[in-house]
Amino acid sequence: MNELLAEFLRGYTATNEWSAIMPEIMLALLALGLLVSEMFLPKAQHHLIPRIAIWGQVLIGVYAFSCIGGCLTSSGSFFSGMILQTDVSQMMRPFFLLSSILVCYLGRIYLSQQSLAKTEFYHLVLIISAAMMLLVQSSNFVMLFVALETVTVAFYVLVGYCRTSPFSLEGGLKYLILGSLSSAILLFGIVLLYGVAGNPQLPGASPDSLNFQSLQAFIALNQFTGGNLLVNVGAILVVAGICFKIGAVPFQIWVPDVYQGAPTPVTAFLAVASKAAGFIVLLVLVQGPFLALNELLVPVLSFIAAATILFGNIAAVTQRNLKRLMGLSGIAHAGYLLIGVVAVMRGVEWAVYAVIFYLVTYLLASFAVFGVMAITAKADDANQQLDDYANYSRKQPFLSGVLTLGLGSLAGIPPLGGFIAKLFLFVAAYQAGLYGLIAIAILGVVISIYYYFGWIRECYFGVPTSEIVEDTCGQSTVADRTLLGALVAGTVLVGVLPAVLPIIP
Amino acid sequence: MTATQSLLVVLLAPLFSAVVIGLFLRRFGQLAAYISVATSGVIFLAAVHAVWTAGGEIVHDSWLWLSFGAFDVSMGVFLDDVSATMMLMVTFVGFLIHVFSLGYMAKDASLARYFGGLSIFMCSMLGIVLADNLVMIFVFWELVGFSSYMLIGHYMTKPAAAAAQKKAFIVNRIGDLGFVVGIAYAYWHFGTTDLEVMGALVGADPNLIHAGIAALLMCGFIGKSAQFPLHVWLPDAMAGPTPVSALIHAATMVAAGGYFLIRIVYLFPPEVLSIIVWLGVFGAVYAGFCAYARRDIKQVLAYSTLSQLGYIGAAFGLGYPGIALFHLITHAFFKALLFLGAGSVIHGCHHEQDIFKLGGLWRKMPVTALTFLIGILALCGVYGFSGYYSKDAILIAGGMTNVPVAVLLTFGALLTAGYMGRLFWIVFLGKPNSEAAAHAKESPLVMVVPLVLLALLSIAGGWLGYWPEVLGATIKADKAELIQMTGYDAMYLRVALLGTLAWIIGLGGSFFFYGRGASEDRLEKIAAPLYSFINQRLWFDETYDFYVLKVQQRFADLLSLLDVFLIKGVLVRGSAGLVGLVGMCARSLHVGSIHGYVYWFLAGMLLLWAVAAGIFG
Repeated sequence: MNELLAEFLRGYTATNEWSAIMPEIMLALLALGLLVSEMFLPKAQHHLIPRIAIWGQVLIGVYAFSCIGGCLTSSGSFFSGMILQTDVSQMMRPFFLLSSILVCYLGRIYLSQQSLAKTEFYHLVLIISAAMMLLVQSSNFVMLFVALETVTVAFYVLVGYCRTSPFSLEGGLKYLILGSLSSAILLFGIVLLYGVAGNPQLPGASPDSLNFQSLQAFIALNQFTGGNLLVNVGAILVVAGICFKIGAVPFQIWVPDVYQGAPTPVTAFLAVASKAAGFIVLLVLVQGPFLALNELLVPVLSFIAAATILFGNIAAVTQRNLKRLMGLSGIAHAGYLLIGVVAVMRGVEWAVYAVIFYLVTYLLASFAVFGVMAITAKADDANQQLDDYANYSRKQPFLSGVLTLGLGSLAGIPPLGGFIAKLFLFVAAYQAGLYGLIAIAILGVVISIYYYFGWIRECYFGVPTSEIVEDTCGQSTVADRTLLGALVAGTVLVGVLPAVLPIIP
Repeated sequence: MTATQSLLVVLLAPLFSAVVIGLFLRRFGQLAAYISVATSGVIFLAAVHAVWTAGGEIVHDSWLWLSFGAFDVSMGVFLDDVSATMMLMVTFVGFLIHVFSLGYMAKDASLARYFGGLSIFMCSMLGIVLADNLVMIFVFWELVGFSSYMLIGHYMTKPAAAAAQKKAFIVNRIGDLGFVVGIAYAYWHFGTTDLEVMGALVGADPNLIHAGIAALLMCGFIGKSAQFPLHVWLPDAMAGPTPVSALIHAATMVAAGGYFLIRIVYLFPPEVLSIIVWLGVFGAVYAGFCAYARRDIKQVLAYSTLSQLGYIGAAFGLGYPGIALFHLITHAFFKALLFLGAGSVIHGCHHEQDIFKLGGLWRKMPVTALTFLIGILALCGVYGFSGYYSKDAILIAGGMTNVPVAVLLTFGALLTAGYMGRLFWIVFLGKPNSEAAAHAKESPLVMVVPLVLLALLSIAGGWLGYWPEVLGATIKADKAELIQMTGYDAMYLRVALLGTLAWIIGLGGSFFFYGRGASEDRLEKIAAPLYSFINQRLWFDETYDFYVLKVQQRFADLLSLLDVFLIKGVLVRGSAGLVGLVGMCARSLHVGSIHGYVYWFLAGMLLLWAVAAGIFG
């Protein structure tokens, strides 16, 4: 017995490669360091904290970016199969870091308008970012669940961060309840899979049945011999749990309320990073343990994709609250991305990179839009109406231009990045033979142009009123302009020269 | 520098100048003017250098511009003797007109726009001249159309100028429609649009010549060179500044249509050529008549241009592209001279353009008057002047191959001499008929020197024997072919005699009929019905207006009705309404009740399971 245990532990330590998860560790340390510095810095120096957060992340980002090049052991399985690093997970590190840097920056703008605790915000953002990185690397359901819960729990706090706003509190509560429900469903699915795969009477049963690789082997063997109901149910439950995270129909119901109530930077974080993490996990699952379940999952995910695209776009058309609008349009984007996932399942392997490319352009465009929203928002953050943007181009020509390009990219107008990203996805879908989904997606894009351009129209073609001149709120600083300008420039650059993003192999 | 590099300078320098002026110098008119003039000088020198370096060899270089699948579009330069001749003419005349503009436009408020326009025009025109394939020609063809549009409407506050620029642009589009279809057809037929390659293909297999392609490409010529029935835009285009009329609407752009035909002469079967002959002859005679009822000095010259373009077309149609090119070049010299002379008159007389209000300018503006006279003599084909050589060559070619054409064109020459005589006697002789004319002054040196230089070229431009070795090989070949035909000598004598008779009768008759410095039109007085008939110009404008207003407008109204009801009403509003309705339903799902959400969530799980179990198929 002792022999066995010793062997087991030796195996563990042999694969404990701490340097492989150095960026995550550094992020966690930075997050703790923020709390410490709040304690020890004099109050007058507290404005340094967001800077420490942002520049620290930039440094970590540089480090993580260099990992892509392979100065580190860039891929492989670590911690006894808990973590599997692939090129995709390496690419996602800078992605999550970029989004959390931007969220911290927007958070600084947002917190300057509110009287709330400040340091905890950055702390939580950093924790989420680190957990997301681990999430996309996990190759074991325990690891996946723990990382996912770290993300989710921190998000519960962030969504309800604005304690003075009933909307924020309501959103936080709803996210908590529905998030727990989805976690329960996910966990139930995991347990079913664990149980059935650990049944020694079935062929291919494994003592380590939470591990993706052994699960994949087990499911493949079982599918070969006629399938297993418990496996199917478990897989569906897991997929449903992930679909909650990405906000896909029919689990999208929380999105508008939570997006509206959450502080704008958090909304952006939810919309971009949380969704991206969900998609990468979904991709890992359908290429890993659920590879043999394609027959079951392709129709399910196709159905979800179609319903998500149509629902998100149609529901957004009549929406006048901008945060809800972004939420609903985000649902539609999840639908487009699901097409990419289905294409992967149909054997078009490069569609994985099309999905990532789409996520990057979505990040650039969304943060441009959310950035403008954060700057423009008044103290009542949850109540941003379309009407607030009447004559916006006269008040804020630069921000208005940023908004236009960001929305144009989201709508997929050439030559912006969003267009190329959609094009890649549709090409992948075409190669996978998903003609019906492409038709639905194009219909969705047409509808989406209606509401995106409705917003732009509000900015540029509103009737001039006298209050334009006096309205001085929402002034942007030079740093804001530089950052937003860089995001927009990135959007245009990616659209014109897609090769600058070395994602598509 | 190699010839290709010089040619690139020729092409790109004016573009550069236009960009610099357009971006940075819009408020600095004087500086813009000097830059534009200097550029035109540079491109003339570069053109000379290119021709000299090439030394009579063909220069052909091209670069891939766009690539769609198997369809490659290249941009290139193709310098042979035809394009070399044309390029030197365009750059030199262009340079003189730029210089002239310095004086003529000196007091203009938007000098930068004007000179920027001239530069972009030079770029586009030289693009047509040097292009090595049809697609590139088309690109620059449209750019020429754009710059013409811009420059005609230079006096943008005048409604007439705005209407004229629009008319020129739209009428040209009609021709260009055929042109672009023809290019596509040619690509489909030959697999290339490269001029040299197409020429080689057709040379190897004459069966490849296709009347349809030729006829479609001819449409471009009809529009750009203002041939009947699309001639209506040219007289109106005189609303632009006079140097623009000289450069674009007399010497270069309107001749580009003819030049284009000469470049692709190998594509034309006899049937299409005969169409071109008769269009040209009709235009030559018709425009000659119209000129008699014009009172505006520029309008008279415009109809004269139409008439001479008819000669060029006829020469081409008779199968002598070299002769057509020859007349094109000489015409460019003397017509630019005449227009600049008219510009000098207009400038000297405070923008008075009515010939019956001028008069007696011979003494007041001697250099202008003398150079103008030289231009008229060249245009009328007086022995020794350039027009004599080119026009007589056309008449001889007609006499040898198609006698009715020659007779009609000789009659056209008589008409030409008549209305040009009318113009000269009324404007320059006699007494001033208005205050403006009485106080006329000779124009400044910057305007007079170009006149003198053009006058010299109007005389000597036709002396083919003195042309440099590297130029005009095609012209000389066509001439030599004519000379070698049997019966050439007799025909030469006959044509020389009749041609001389024509200008003597024309000039003399108009002198005695109209008199010196007349203040009113004698033709109008003694034969009012005839005058008003001519003045109506066969009702072409009226017919087109009627068509546009009554036929096309009605049809457009009908379509607009369909658009408003069917597309806007039912399709757009209807679908938007439908989506909005569904959207409202979708939105009402988000009631905000957490209980509802949880149930919805569980229902979603069941739905997923149903899909997975294949209940929906």
